[in-house]
Amino acid sequence: MRRERSAVAVSCLLLVATIAVAIGIARGATTAAKPATERYLHVKVDGGTKGESVNVNVPLSMAVKILPTINHGDLHNGRVTISSADINDVDLHAILDAVRTAPDNEFVTVKGSEQDVRVAKSNGNLIIHVRDSGKESGKSGQKVDVTVPMKVVDALFSTAKQNELDVAAAIRALGEAGETVLVTAQDAEQSVKIWIDSKSGAE
Amino acid sequence: MILLGKVGIGIVGTALAGAGIICSEGMISVNVETRQPERHHVFVVAPAMLVPIAVQFIPKEHLAEHAQEIQPWLPTIRASLDALSESDDITFLEVKEPGQNVRVAKSGGSIVVDVNENDETVHVSTPIRAMSSAIEELAAASPAPTR
Repeated sequence: MRRERSAVAVSCLLLVATIAVAIGIARGATTAAKPATERYLHVKVDGGTKGESVNVNVPLSMAVKILPTINHGDLHNGRVTISSADINDVDLHAILDAVRTAPDNEFVTVKGSEQDVRVAKSNGNLIIHVRDSGKESGKSGQKVDVTVPMKVVDALFSTAKQNELDVAAAIRALGEAGETVLVTAQDAEQSVKIWIDSKSGAE
Repeated sequence: MILLGKVGIGIVGTALAGAGIICSEGMISVNVETRQPERHHVFVVAPAMLVPIAVQFIPKEHLAEHAQEIQPWLPTIRASLDALSESDDITFLEVKEPGQNVRVAKSGGSIVVDVNENDETVHVSTPIRAMSSAIEELAAASPAPTR
């Protein structure tokens, strides 16, 4: 009787140990399947009339997995189709090729009484600065800074078709580009910041 | 006496195993607290495994209708749920304004939605596995092949 009890007890322990090991292996396999460093896209909006704040955090690997499955409107298989009317017969690929091969430089500088616009290429990034003083319109000033790594722009235009943007490839490239602030926009009431880093939460 | 003990152990063991199976997909919890104009408190905790079982009780014609509506989005929903289950715990969305706070997050294998207002507090937690099971039940109810 005692031997039987011991055998049952040992069997139970072995069963529990086997289950624990199996769970451990399964968890390990899940962890191993993840990319070495997960990157997150963060959007932070602060301000507004009520002083509200909005934080959005999305793992890029999640976006890359989900985007190709959406087939709705102009979005198919992770690619956006731009209608020819919107392109206006402009060869976007040729423009991009010209920007890519050009050395670091300022491409566009517009200085108006109210607005300054600057488009430049610097350290492998495409940079757009817009400053709106708001003097003439009587509104408060606005400041917009956009920094896009050229690798992301390349990925965006990596499709063979002229009128397509490969958003999924651009997101993959964003993940590989490292930590970067993509967009900051600010006016008297609101501030918007879009950036990529390896932290799952906002700052 | 020994026989009675064995029967007792059998009943308790079966009950524990049954409870373990029922709770294996986690628990759905809903907590709604209203403070004004009257104070109400609704707190429900249910095994998530009951969701796909409950889907079986929906009339087939209604289920087929909803299954057809959801069919174009099934690959997206499946990919989203797969990605969610693989992702670490994270707050996806947080909205704060005076008197109101909304949070959507993944926490311990569940999607958690918290809404805190001055007059009302809502907390809903649903295991991702239960969502997947329910979606697959819904997909199976569709007349056309889904995979």
